[in-house]
Amino acid sequence: MSVNKNIAYPPGGVLMWIIIYLELATFGMAMAALAFYGAADRINYHQDSLMLNKLLGTINTLFLLSGGFFAAYGVQTFKKNQFELSARYLLGSIFTGLGFLLLKIFEYQQKLASGLDMNYSPFFMNYWLLTGFHWIHVLVGVVILIFIRRTIVKNQQSASLEDIEAGVAFWHMCDLIWLLLFPLLYFLF
Amino acid sequence: MKNSLLYTFLILIILTILSASLSHFQLAKTGVIVIVIFAIIKFLLVGFQFLELQLAHKFWKVLFVIYSCLMAAVFIILL
Repeated sequence: MSVNKNIAYPPGGVLMWIIIYLELATFGMAMAALAFYGAADRINYHQDSLMLNKLLGTINTLFLLSGGFFAAYGVQTFKKNQFELSARYLLGSIFTGLGFLLLKIFEYQQKLASGLDMNYSPFFMNYWLLTGFHWIHVLVGVVILIFIRRTIVKNQQSASLEDIEAGVAFWHMCDLIWLLLFPLLYFLF
Repeated sequence: MKNSLLYTFLILIILTILSASLSHFQLAKTGVIVIVIFAIIKFLLVGFQFLELQLAHKFWKVLFVIYSCLMAAVFIILL
């Protein structure tokens, strides 16, 4: 979107930003509850937190950040009518998103094989719920990016910048949630 | 713009690796505060640079910064 400082036209559209803030508020309240209960039962939450694989979590963060970077470039190049380049950057986002999803499945399998399911402890109940809902958001984000890219590739002239920005904004929202969720679950207890 | 996106991305990577490295040490309160500050810096960078919030009306920027400060305060006070 071009520079438009009207309150009704944030980049990606006002509806997308309402969704973004609602999602941030929802995840924010859940994370605050996790921090609250974690503070009350510090030893058990710390022990459970140590069972998470920090390396996998860090690689997943790098996947999402790379995806966000490619998506931002995708919007920039689209604005300059460099449609092929834009589609290529969005493909990069899609692949990093898929990388995140697959690595998370691998991590989930490891946890289940070790018996660390939702009933194991309150920490793991929160872990499964928060990361599970986030995983679904990333999946939706990847599907949206696939559709956006398809529109750019097949119908360059009719692809609307607002649609592209809205789809990419959803993707960045997944980044934002993870940037708070990741340190809370993996590092802070 | 392209360069600022690239610099933002590099800062995000560096902060992520620093947070991960820091977490290998036994974290005292200071370590928790540093990791939370890194997370909030990353959060703001993604919002303002990747999501182009710097192009939006002040209302959206202020709301975003308030949310960031609120989450940082919750994490630092409780943990």
